[in-house]
Amino acid sequence: MKKKENLLEEKIMPVADKIANNRYLIAIRDGFMLAMPLLIIGAISLLIEELPIPGYGDFMSGIFGKHWGDFFLVPYHASMAIMSIFVIIGISHSLTNHYKQDGLNTAVISLVSFFVLTPFVTNFTPEGSKAVYQVDSVIPMEWIGSKGLFVGMVSAILATEIMRFVSNKGWVIKMPEGVPPTVAKAFSALIPGTITIFSFGIIRLIFAYTPFGTIHNCIFNVLQLPLVSLGDSLGAVIIANFFIGLFWMFGIAGGDVVQSVMTPIWLALSADNLLAFGKGEALPHIITQQFNSIYLWLGGGGATLGLCLALLLVCKSQQCKRIGKLSILPGLFNINEPIIFGLPVVLNPILLIPFICTPLILAVITYCTMAAGLVPAPNGVIIPWTTPPIIGGFLVSGIRGAILQAVEIVISFLIYLPFIKAQDKKYCEQEKLYENNKE
Amino acid sequence: MKRILLFCSAGMSTSLLVTKMQNAAKAMEMDVSIDAFPEAEMASHLDDADVVLLGPQIRFALGRAKKLCSEKNIPVDVINSMDYGMMDGEKVLKTALKMMENQNREDHP
Repeated sequence: MKKKENLLEEKIMPVADKIANNRYLIAIRDGFMLAMPLLIIGAISLLIEELPIPGYGDFMSGIFGKHWGDFFLVPYHASMAIMSIFVIIGISHSLTNHYKQDGLNTAVISLVSFFVLTPFVTNFTPEGSKAVYQVDSVIPMEWIGSKGLFVGMVSAILATEIMRFVSNKGWVIKMPEGVPPTVAKAFSALIPGTITIFSFGIIRLIFAYTPFGTIHNCIFNVLQLPLVSLGDSLGAVIIANFFIGLFWMFGIAGGDVVQSVMTPIWLALSADNLLAFGKGEALPHIITQQFNSIYLWLGGGGATLGLCLALLLVCKSQQCKRIGKLSILPGLFNINEPIIFGLPVVLNPILLIPFICTPLILAVITYCTMAAGLVPAPNGVIIPWTTPPIIGGFLVSGIRGAILQAVEIVISFLIYLPFIKAQDKKYCEQEKLYENNKE
Repeated sequence: MKRILLFCSAGMSTSLLVTKMQNAAKAMEMDVSIDAFPEAEMASHLDDADVVLLGPQIRFALGRAKKLCSEKNIPVDVINSMDYGMMDGEKVLKTALKMMENQNREDHP
């Protein structure tokens, strides 16, 4: 067994290492991390406007007038609805820091490069008319929200790379000595910035000659839409969560590794749902970021809150009881490292099966109840992954979401029960042996 | 005052350990500052650090951390996973102190 574990560890560590240390994936992760608080603020303000309580809207308009909701809609439009902008700044800033160059300068150039690719027109249909008018001189909200995410990620990385390439070639305006350094710095960005922005101008021209018209149309239809629809399937969720479990079995933060690939897709799905939710339309997707973080990772990766309860309520060995006490409070906030490293789950052949299978079983259950319409799909509101169960479910799917989470905790408890009992028995024997030896 | 920094993916679970380590330091009547941060922010926190510890769940980041820390002569290691799981603040604190001692010996032979 030991040998097999080593072999697997040798195979799995390089994969985690490659994914987690890839500079582009790190930059994308950092970009989303910068945007995350803004996305949460924007999504929560939309949630306040659309709170899933009957009669709430009428009640509020009664007090504050018909337009009370605008107070909360505006922050949503100013944050979540223009998320691509923050993601671009964050990605470019992180990547530039990695190259040890001036981050803010490059981040601004990246944003400009993205705007070069973005058509400053939008389509407008007046009420009651069928004709579509093109309105000039606007930045289209359509392409700077979640629909522009992939073009944004590509622009940020490409612009940063061109800036670095040109700067490294030494093609910068050099000031004679005696010129104040700040002045020199302002000039040194001129040539790399110009070359970068003009390169993007050429990209824009090339796409103008394709049937797509803009790179936005092309990347959204050719890359983002297929990837996102692929991510919006039960199969993809099961595969992603299988790997999360597998990585954790080796003590590697699996959620982090897998999310550095899946976050753009899952967040785009969330944003789609949130847009529909804000308009009061039917939610287009079941799978979203919250489908995973709220319904599958109850208590942390492996849905260990049920295991935590089993440790506290059923187990008799000191080891299990201690870990149970240590892990219940963090567990309520979906943090489970004490269980993973303390129990431990890591490289534990007894707990391997329930740890990997529980989230997969919960995925099937959640998907089926939502597909059948028993529980509303997640509304796309982005809440921190540390939001305690029951509260989290209520915020993303209303009262039925909270009930589903409660049921899932019971199910995960029952799945873990026979396995943790076996483990507990082993620990009890060990502890007895230890006591006897001491005497 | 010595400064110990802990890093994990979001700085959440390491912050649990930080509290335990601070309690251990208080019991030993030691004057140290201990903080936890997300691993992504490592570069911006290293300036006044004396020792850096990584949560075992991000041990794949050790290579990158070593690169960042070696420039500043800061010792860095991964926390023993059992100590981490049991949230054994005292043991981790002692490891950190030992790492600093060894580093000093290397700096001033």
